[in-house]
Amino acid sequence: MNKEIKKWFSLNLGNKKQSNSGCSESKCDKHPLENKEDGISQVFDVNMNRRQAFKKITAGLMIGAGAVNSSCSVVSGEENKEKSQIEWEEYFKGNYKLMSDEEKDKTVNRLVRSYELRNGKKLNISSKGPEEDVLFGYAFNISKCQGYMDCVNACVEENNQDRASQMQYIRIHEMNDGKGLNFGEADDTFYHEVPAAGHFYLGTQCFHCDNPPCVEVCPVQATWKEKDGIVVIDYDWCIGCRYCMAACPYDGRRFNWSTPQIPEQEVNKNQHYLGNRLRKKGVMEKCTFCIQRSREGNNPACVDACPTGSRIFGNLLDPKSEIRWVLANKKVFRLKEDLGTEPKFWYFMD
Amino acid sequence: MKLKLNISILLLAIIMISCKNDQKEYHNIIDKIEAKSTDYKRDSTFSNNQFEKSDLVQVTDHETQFYIENRKNRIESYECSECHDKPVSQLQTENLGKKAHWDIKINHADNKTMSCLSCHIENDMDNLHSITGETIDLNFSYQLCNQCHNKEVKDWKGGAHGKNISGWKTSRVSKLCVECHDPHKPSIEKRWPARYNSQMVDERN
Amino acid sequence: MKVLKNLIKDSLVYLTHGRKSYHIWMAFLTFLMLLGMYSYSLQLEQGLSVTGMNDRVSWGLYISNFTFLVGIAAAAVMLVLPAYVLKDFDFKQAVLIGEGLAVAALCMCLAFIIADMGGPARLWHLIPGIGVFNFPNSMLTWDIIVLNGYLFINISIPLYILIMRYQGKTPNPKIYIPGVMISVFWAVSIHLVTAFLYQGLQARPFWNNALLGPRFLASAFAAGPALIILVLAMIRKFTDFKIDDKTIKKIALVVTVAAQINLIMLISELFKEFYAPTHHSESAYYLFFGLHGKAKLVPWIWTAITMNVVATVILLFHKLRNNFTILYIACILLFIGIWIEKGFGLIVPGFIPGPWGKIAEYFPTMTEIGVTIGIWAMGAFIFSILARTGIAIELGKIKFKNN
Repeated sequence: MNKEIKKWFSLNLGNKKQSNSGCSESKCDKHPLENKEDGISQVFDVNMNRRQAFKKITAGLMIGAGAVNSSCSVVSGEENKEKSQIEWEEYFKGNYKLMSDEEKDKTVNRLVRSYELRNGKKLNISSKGPEEDVLFGYAFNISKCQGYMDCVNACVEENNQDRASQMQYIRIHEMNDGKGLNFGEADDTFYHEVPAAGHFYLGTQCFHCDNPPCVEVCPVQATWKEKDGIVVIDYDWCIGCRYCMAACPYDGRRFNWSTPQIPEQEVNKNQHYLGNRLRKKGVMEKCTFCIQRSREGNNPACVDACPTGSRIFGNLLDPKSEIRWVLANKKVFRLKEDLGTEPKFWYFMD
Repeated sequence: MKLKLNISILLLAIIMISCKNDQKEYHNIIDKIEAKSTDYKRDSTFSNNQFEKSDLVQVTDHETQFYIENRKNRIESYECSECHDKPVSQLQTENLGKKAHWDIKINHADNKTMSCLSCHIENDMDNLHSITGETIDLNFSYQLCNQCHNKEVKDWKGGAHGKNISGWKTSRVSKLCVECHDPHKPSIEKRWPARYNSQMVDERN
Repeated sequence: MKVLKNLIKDSLVYLTHGRKSYHIWMAFLTFLMLLGMYSYSLQLEQGLSVTGMNDRVSWGLYISNFTFLVGIAAAAVMLVLPAYVLKDFDFKQAVLIGEGLAVAALCMCLAFIIADMGGPARLWHLIPGIGVFNFPNSMLTWDIIVLNGYLFINISIPLYILIMRYQGKTPNPKIYIPGVMISVFWAVSIHLVTAFLYQGLQARPFWNNALLGPRFLASAFAAGPALIILVLAMIRKFTDFKIDDKTIKKIALVVTVAAQINLIMLISELFKEFYAPTHHSESAYYLFFGLHGKAKLVPWIWTAITMNVVATVILLFHKLRNNFTILYIACILLFIGIWIEKGFGLIVPGFIPGPWGKIAEYFPTMTEIGVTIGIWAMGAFIFSILARTGIAIELGKIKFKNN
């Protein structure tokens, strides 16, 4: 299916599009793009592709005409051509869930190469699938959590989240003793010595529900539940409608309201396509149980970072795992059970 | 009439395709787990080279089996008998000055419950002893903690207490009690949180 | 096709000529549209962070307007139904205007959706076949189908009728009556499906109640015909198109009944939220009284309710309702009141408090308001074009000359 798409679009159907930002009039008209049937008279620009493609054409022209440039720009002309070629192909690829292994490899290679062209560094993006007989579950000990927030830091560093908006998947709530799970009166922006008297601490993140409402409502199936229970997002397929965000009862999802900014040296280069690879603006993201780590047999970053051992992670289908022991021997509960979402994230006390 | 027939067929078609596509075989996650549980074998060879098998000590009781790191390999001053060749009371009289852990204060329960000799054997500093006088190897110091903190040790053996330092896939390697709780001063100090989210505060005001 | 080409040519000629007031109106709308486009370009450049939306309140002004306008579009059926089903000929003149309004409203709806999306360049992901269309699980896909279908119906049927009239022929009832019948059912379904978008989310207790769908319909059938009355008033003033007093009075009856039902539903909701308040009533508390000191929406909702109540009461009385000046005032009050109630009074409080009880208030930024104004101007522009052409054809001012 991917190949057919490529052929169709590379035929250049010759439909004009008006631009309302950025490009100069004459150059834009030169470039034909797919006409999007959206039933309104207002049309809009496809920013990145157009400018890159425009550069590609100019670069080609310059090389062809033997323009006066230093030798480096001939090489960078090649690079620009490759960059826009990659972006073109990336734009028209399909939904990751429907890709064959070969297509998955191709897209991963394109992403790695694209990063290399931009920053000169090598990434390691995996497209590893789920393992048989594995269903991930998580348990959180609310007696042990002391509100240190080491988990939050580890998560942000591991998953390449936007630093500018201080995006964090995990929230730690400072709850009041005696008031039960009254989240309305809890504080998740505390900053004082912990543990504070009269409080207990409880962390929330995406609970990877077994009946996820977010998956139901996505109009393009950009988010789905993998076989090993992790609810993932294909960042390149997401159209940014934020319906899933409205549907999530647990505040599990985060949206990139602007382009995520991560200092280059802090980028975690061990990535997974469905996990912590670099996202763009206008797409949804969320906790993925550190899919880049858990599919390699490791624990998520939050579990490893917690100094008190409040976080427990494991395979629910392994009767001898710690998570199963907790479920069998501890009094566990989940949040908002009455909503029928079947989260795979349990809470318990000592 | 034909119009009404067409509309009713359309409505029927809409109702038939309106059913959601999810095949919910299991009523809830617990049923699903019980149905799909397998005898999943965790990797006891540690093929990811995270640990040296030889460095690990196995802990077994009738319910569980997991590993701990060899504690004796990690204590620099082990074997204790290298310095403690005489009983402590005698060492104190010799003018050795303030060497090593001369200033250990016990802040563990009260002095009716805990003193140095509650755990240590005066003339065998390489080992510990239980209430009944049984010798306990330094690697299995959790057996001492078990005497009073039976509930916590039970949780630890199950995996609900303490820190798991291996992943979920290999066999479990847990930290020993003493690696988090200094047995002479077991309580954990307060500290400040690792971060403050000013963006969230701005959003709320 | 020669007919169509000629129609377009003649329409363009007709549209570019008119009184000074017409030109000023169109110029004003164009200026607003350019303002909107500039604001939108800012949004495309920097992302949706230029709006006031955040992770807690992730739908704001755009979706509020979208919801409201779907209702307006659905209300065109309120004219079609009596005209064709009840065979009340007084309504027939107003039908074309109503359908033109529906087209303009739908175009605005689609524009708001696209303005709200984080990745409009990836819209093609929705197309079944080359993309993935999550039907029937996702209510958004249902919404896309019904809205586009309704747009198609509302363009094709009037287009057929107008082309026939343009050529001086009589439109064949056998062709357009079935379409009209379908559009009646379809109109109810577009607004019901839009309501189900919100109603189906168990995560948002403010929306997750059975009354949301019927409430949407009631408020749509109040606000939509109110707008139609105002539009018809302007058409009477500015064109030669004949619209009987009888027609307007009958539409006013529709508005009255719908406004009363809307008020009853409001009372029902208020009772449920405040008689035995639960944790789920927090959103209603925030909206009507403010919560923990946060009360940005309180003046808005009380203004809206006052407007609605005043308008409903005015419309109750024959004497007042038949006095057209007072009728127009009541319609304006009702329109604005329902706009506030359905927009800020429904979408935004659904998100407040957030899932963990935290309140992050929302207020649109200038960019957001700019885009919104631009899209409303676009809608007015489209409607002006359609209405003007349609009326001209009906009055015989534009005729097909077969040379």
